[in-house]
Amino acid sequence: MSSTRDIRLFISFRQAMADVQRIDLLDPAEVARFGGIEIVAQGVVEGFLSGIHRSPFRGFSVEFTEHRAYQPGDELRYLDWKILARADRLFVKQFEQETNLRAMILVDASRSMAWRGAPNRLTKRAYADRLAAALALILLRQRDATGLITFDEAVREVVPARVKAGQWARLVRGLLDTPDGRGTAAQDALVRLTSLLARRGLVVLVSDLLFERELALTALRYLRHRGHQVIVLHLMDPAEAELSGPPEVRYRDPESAASVVVRPRELARVYQATVRREVDAWRTACRRHGIAYHHILTDMPFGMALRLLA
Amino acid sequence: MTFLHPVALVGLVAAAIPTLLHLLERRVPPEAEFPPLRYLSEAERQSARRLKLRHLLLLILRTAVIVLIVLAAARPLFPTQASGGSLHEPTALAVILDNSASSGLVVDGRLVLDRLRAVARGSLARAAASDRLWLVLADGVARAGTPEALVATVDSAGVSARRLDLTAAVRAAARLVDAEPLPAREVHVVSDLQRTALGPGRAGVPRGVRVLALAPPSQAPANRGVGAVRVTDAAATVGIVGTPGEGGGAASVTLRIRGREVGHALGAPGSTATITLPPLGAGWWVGEAVLDADELRADDRRLLVWRVAPPARVATPSSTGGGPFVAAALAVLEEGRRVRPGNEIAIGDRPEAGTLVSIVIPPAEPALIGQANRALAARGGRLRFASEGTPGPIAGPALPAIAGLQVARRYRIEPSAGGGGPGTRSDSGVLATVNGEPWLVRDGSILLLGSRLDTAWTALPAVPAFVPFVDALVNRLARGEAPITEVEGSAGVEFRTRGADTIGAIVSGLDPRESDLTPASPALVHDVLGADVLDEAAFAAARFAGAGRRDGSGLLLLLALLIALAELGVATRTR
Repeated sequence: MSSTRDIRLFISFRQAMADVQRIDLLDPAEVARFGGIEIVAQGVVEGFLSGIHRSPFRGFSVEFTEHRAYQPGDELRYLDWKILARADRLFVKQFEQETNLRAMILVDASRSMAWRGAPNRLTKRAYADRLAAALALILLRQRDATGLITFDEAVREVVPARVKAGQWARLVRGLLDTPDGRGTAAQDALVRLTSLLARRGLVVLVSDLLFERELALTALRYLRHRGHQVIVLHLMDPAEAELSGPPEVRYRDPESAASVVVRPRELARVYQATVRREVDAWRTACRRHGIAYHHILTDMPFGMALRLLA
Repeated sequence: MTFLHPVALVGLVAAAIPTLLHLLERRVPPEAEFPPLRYLSEAERQSARRLKLRHLLLLILRTAVIVLIVLAAARPLFPTQASGGSLHEPTALAVILDNSASSGLVVDGRLVLDRLRAVARGSLARAAASDRLWLVLADGVARAGTPEALVATVDSAGVSARRLDLTAAVRAAARLVDAEPLPAREVHVVSDLQRTALGPGRAGVPRGVRVLALAPPSQAPANRGVGAVRVTDAAATVGIVGTPGEGGGAASVTLRIRGREVGHALGAPGSTATITLPPLGAGWWVGEAVLDADELRADDRRLLVWRVAPPARVATPSSTGGGPFVAAALAVLEEGRRVRPGNEIAIGDRPEAGTLVSIVIPPAEPALIGQANRALAARGGRLRFASEGTPGPIAGPALPAIAGLQVARRYRIEPSAGGGGPGTRSDSGVLATVNGEPWLVRDGSILLLGSRLDTAWTALPAVPAFVPFVDALVNRLARGEAPITEVEGSAGVEFRTRGADTIGAIVSGLDPRESDLTPASPALVHDVLGADVLDEAAFAAARFAGAGRRDGSGLLLLLALLIALAELGVATRTR
């Protein structure tokens, strides 16, 4: 917690919202208005954890310890089916958390991330920051060493993975200290930062993936080859998924000088199909290489986005 | 294809509107950032061909809609084979309805005129407001009017006693329609197409004028009629006319005078029948020659008028008189009991005292002209012989038999000083002229001839008409009597009077040619009138440029609507 003021704000915010609805399921832009990254992330995590009662990341870093008798309310997925079949008795498996998991969250800070399709939505970068902060808080609470790397065309901030106190604050500061980039060739930075991830662990890439797929996949495959578990969170503004706009408009790429004059109504259907095809291509390529891939629109509540990772 | 309102075609320039709008709309579009430009470029690359095709298709469809609407506004007329085509290009049309006497023929209990009227009504009823119409009846007068007015005229037209010269009527009608600046020009000849209705020469139809003639019945109906009737001193000669070769049997002719039958005779068409007249007293007589009734009643009766008068009493003076030719003619007439010696009428180079009428011819010696003029003045004459006139032919309605005969030498006849000109009194008038100048003039009790009746002055004494001329001179003209004139028209007699005296008569009757119902062959009709002879069905199909025309604007508007719907579909479905 960066300041007592933030703590007070968060407490009042949590009290105000506790009886109403879960914060993690609110509209991201609405949630963002309550305060900075820390407040939003903590609120989201609180709501998220209270909703599922257990850590969704148990499977990442746990080892089996013992059985105990099944109690009503236990999740059926932990039921030991072999004992049930052998002895006709209900037992559930219990796990012990490990602390040696190293998680690195890679946040794309390129210029294309600083874009939003409507004023009432978060930019992709803002959404990525808050989602990364929430994810980091969850991991740190599980005592997993968590680090952060921000990049655009170059690596901008590196926060090594730690589990000690104050680590989350450092991570949040790292996010805040990274300005919106001007870079365009994020895939090059992605290749370079693989060398920074020497020890095996969990790598979460948060990006709009607007770069060469093959180059990016090369880097991700390399990480996977090094034994990392890789998760790709593909952020996309809803306006990027469905084309709309004035009858005729000149669209300009913020990362290059390229521009094109189009009539959105004429191209909407083909564009939507193109985006869908691109997402499918990413999903297929990632699945082929054992990489978890999730497509997230920036109007999706943070809790739902985190649920994708469970 | 033609257009009712071709001016509307100017609107075709509006077809350029879609292209102009496309060009004018090419303004600088607003600019915006859009990160996934690579997806957009890919989508555009995939759609470029489809979008180009779509834009081209939309441009074509929109242009086609405008073109079709403009064409519809111009009211295009498409030819159709159906005879009921309601529209046609503007036409100048003259309908010649031959309601002459022969159209009064009854065939199968129905008047021929009824059939002709129905056809003429059909032509007029199909006329549009843009057409120019005339109707020509047997009187030869071209009546202009609206279709409704002319149909009413057709309905009210009865059988006329006039004969229609189809050649002249077609010639006049063709010139009439040819003068109209309309795309089509037609003449419809609705007639029984008698061979005798074709006048001399050819109609000379101008190029571009279509002449359609209704075909007559294939067989000529039998008919007999009363032709010319002449009355001589003791008998009436009746000409029998009709369709040659048809009903060739003799017909019974009855002569009635003042309603009383005075004689009968038999005669076949083409022959004459002579009926002896009973002794009649002096005066004007009216009679009629009547045939048995047949299908054409109008020519079964003809009136005749004649005058019964005593022969003129002519004095032959001892002087040079009228010359040897006049003396010889008078001798012949006297032998034929047309004249008798007496002192009623004198023929000489000066007026004779004691006679009722003096026929004065110029003296042979020019030196005696003055003496003759003084004698004329002494008898109260107001005319005199003047200088010699130019040679020329004789002309004058009073003496048709000598019209055209050459006069080599003559004196001009002029009013004497203080006297009025010829014709200023009721008993005066010019009876014949040469070169437009008086040649035979009546002046009260004096008849002046401009030439001597000698072959050195005129060819008249050398022709057979000379004796009849002298007969008319002494028996009719000297008495101030006008000829009996025969005119075409309904049967009737009209007497001409001067004061209390009857001096002449006009007898009206049918033209004998109307009785010959033989139809002209199609080849002859085509040759003379330049017309296509068609039966009723073909006539109906051929009139108004050979085919009906339908207004295609409705079809074009429907097509425009369909294309507009297609445009809407393309514009919405292909986004």
